[in-house]
Amino acid sequence: MPSASDTVTPRPEHAGSRRTTLLRIVGLVVLAAALLSFPSLAPNSFILSVGVVIMSYAVLATSWNFVGGFTGYISLGHASYSGLGGYATALLIIHTDVNPWLAMLAAGLVVAALAVPIGIASLRVRGASFVIVSIALVLILLLVFQSWGSFTGGSNGLRVPRPFGTDVLRPEQHERFYYLHVALLAVALLVWWAIDRSRFGMGLKAIREDEDKAQSLGVPTFTYKLIAFVVSAFFTALGGGLYALWFGFLDPIFQFSILVGSYMVLMSLLGGIRSLFGPLLGAVIVGYAVEYFKNEYGDTQFHLVAMGLLLALVVLFMPDGIIPAAGSLVDRFRPERSSIREVTQADLAEQRRTEGGSGRSRGAGPGTDAPASPTESPSASPTDSPTESQGARS
Amino acid sequence: MSLLVQSLVLGVLLGGLYALLAAGLTLYFGVMRVVMIAHSAFLILAAYLAWWFTNQTGLDPLFSLVLTVPLFFGMGVFMQRVLISRLRPATLTMMSVLLTFSIALVIEGMLGFVFSGTQRRIRLDYGGASFEVLGANVAVVKLIAFGLAVVSLGALFLLMKKTQFGQSLRATIQHPDAARLIGINTDRVAGYGFGLGLATAAVGGTALALDSTFYPSLHWHWIGPLMAIIVVGGLGSIPGAAIAAMVLGMGQALLQIPLGTTWAQTFFYVALFVTLMVRPQGFFGGRLAQRF
Repeated sequence: MPSASDTVTPRPEHAGSRRTTLLRIVGLVVLAAALLSFPSLAPNSFILSVGVVIMSYAVLATSWNFVGGFTGYISLGHASYSGLGGYATALLIIHTDVNPWLAMLAAGLVVAALAVPIGIASLRVRGASFVIVSIALVLILLLVFQSWGSFTGGSNGLRVPRPFGTDVLRPEQHERFYYLHVALLAVALLVWWAIDRSRFGMGLKAIREDEDKAQSLGVPTFTYKLIAFVVSAFFTALGGGLYALWFGFLDPIFQFSILVGSYMVLMSLLGGIRSLFGPLLGAVIVGYAVEYFKNEYGDTQFHLVAMGLLLALVVLFMPDGIIPAAGSLVDRFRPERSSIREVTQADLAEQRRTEGGSGRSRGAGPGTDAPASPTESPSASPTDSPTESQGARS
Repeated sequence: MSLLVQSLVLGVLLGGLYALLAAGLTLYFGVMRVVMIAHSAFLILAAYLAWWFTNQTGLDPLFSLVLTVPLFFGMGVFMQRVLISRLRPATLTMMSVLLTFSIALVIEGMLGFVFSGTQRRIRLDYGGASFEVLGANVAVVKLIAFGLAVVSLGALFLLMKKTQFGQSLRATIQHPDAARLIGINTDRVAGYGFGLGLATAAVGGTALALDSTFYPSLHWHWIGPLMAIIVVGGLGSIPGAAIAAMVLGMGQALLQIPLGTTWAQTFFYVALFVTLMVRPQGFFGGRLAQRF
C-alpha cells in the first residue's frame, strides 16, 4: 500500500518544536493505519460500501477545498465537475474503448480544460457572481444531461462498464475501490499540502483574507484564483470518475444535484477549510450522518431539513470548523501562543536574525517567501535579486 | 404569426412575474449585499400557503395575500435581524449564501414533510377561462398574475421614490455609512428592506399558485433564472432587474418555438455567461455591482 503513506512526510519548519513534529508524524501514521485497516475491520460488505461512499465524499470535499479553503470563494456547484468527470469517464470508455483508468484521467483533464472558461467568467467579479455561476452551472448541466438523451442516456441514466472483470465479486470490488479512493485522497491531500506551503498558496490565502490588499501587494490575483479553481475542478472530476467506475450507473438527477455540491461545502466547513484534514474529518462525520439518515428515514424529505439545520448551525456558530475550534481548546492548556498565523512570531524573528540587516523594508516579500524556502540564500529579496546576485558574482 | 404573438404575450406575462421576484432579490442585495438563495423557496412556500388557504376556507387564493404578505414581511425582518446580522461582515457575502441556502433546504424539506412531494394545483372556476387578443390566447389567470406583479412593482416603486422610508432605504443602499451619519437607523431600515423583499415572494407565490402546478423542489427551477436576471441587470439595480426580467422572459418565450421548453431555459444561463464575459458588472449596474 504505497498510497496513504505518501502523506506521512515530516513537516519540519512549520511546527516549531520537535515534539509537535513527532506528534504530527504519529498522528499521520495513526490516521493512515485507521484508513487502511478499515476494510479488514468492516463486518460486512454493506459497511464497506458505506466506507467507499465516505471516502468518495472525502475526495470531493478535499478537492473542493482547493478553491474554497485557499481563496475563500465558496462554490455550491462543484457537483457539476464531479458529474462531468463521471460522465466523461463513462462516455470515453463506451465510445473509444480506452482503458478505464486512462479514461478517468483524460476525463479529469477534459473537465479541467472546461473549467478554464467557466473560471474566467465566474472569477472576473467578486464573491456573489461566483456563487451564482456555480449554482447556475449545476442547473444548466442537469437540464442538458437530462434532455440530451441520445448522447448521455438522458433521464434513464447511463450504465458505466466495470473496470474489473466479472470474476471479481462485490465485496472484493468494494475493497479495491476503497483503496483506490484512499490513494486518490492521499494524492489530493499531498497536493493541497504542497500548495499550502508554497508561495502560490500564500498568495491564495492573501486573496482569501483581503483581495484588494493582495492585489495591491502584487499578487496576480486573477491568475492565482483561476489556477486554484482549475486544480480543484480536476481533482473533483477525478473523484467523480472514480465514483462512477465504482457505482457503475449515472443518473443526472444525482450527479448534477445541488445537494452533492452543498455536502462538499458542509463537510469542508464543518471540519475546517483552513486545515489539511478538515474536509476529511467533515466527510467522515457528514457522510456517516447522511448514510444513517438515508437508512433510518429513507424516502422522506427529513434528511433535507437535517442537512439544512446542520449547515445553518455551522455557518452561524462555527464558521471556522471543528479542527480550529478543537485546536483553540487545546491551546488553552498550552503556554501562551500569541499568533494564529501560518508564520509564527518566533519563526519570523529567527528568520530576520539570519537575514541580518539586509533589506529591512521589504514589506510582504519575506513573509510570503519564508515557509517555502527558509534555506534559500537570505540576501535575495524578490524585488532586487537580479542585481544583487549579479553583484555577488562579479 | 399567431404563434409568435402568442409567445410574445406569454413572454410579457412571465416577464412581469420575473421582474417582481428579481426586484425582491435586488432589494436584499442592495441593503445587505446578500445573495438570497432562499427567495424562490419562499415563493413556493407562499404558493403552498395559498393552496392550503383555499383548501381550508374555500375562498379565492388571492385573499391569502392578506395573511401571507404581512407574515412574509415579518419573517424577512426576523431573518435579517436575527440571522443575517449575526454573520461576520468580512465573510458576509459567502456565508449569507450558505445560510440562505440552508434555509431553502429546510423549507423544501418541511414542505415535503408536511404536504408530501405530490404535485399540487389550485382548482379555480375561472382557471380555464381565456380570451383572444390579436389572435393570441390569453388565460385569465395569467393576466391576473401579471396584474398582481405590475401592481406590486408599482407600489414598490412609489414606496421607494415618494415616501420618506423609501428615501432612507435608498440612502442605505447607496451608502450605509453616510446614511447612518445623517441619522438613518440603517439596521432597522435594512430589516424592513429585507421584509419588503420577502413580501415580493409572497405576492409572486400567490400569482404562481393561480396558474401552475407546484411541488417542493420546484424552487430550484426558479432560482437559476432569477439569479441570471439580477446578474444581467446588474446586481443592486431594481430597474435593471426589471428590464432584464422582461427581456429574458420574452427571449425564453420566443425561443420555445424553435427549441422546445427545456432547451429554451438554457437561454438564461447563456445570457448569464455572456454577461459575465462581456460586462461583468451587468448591463444596468453601476459602481456597486463592480465590487461583487
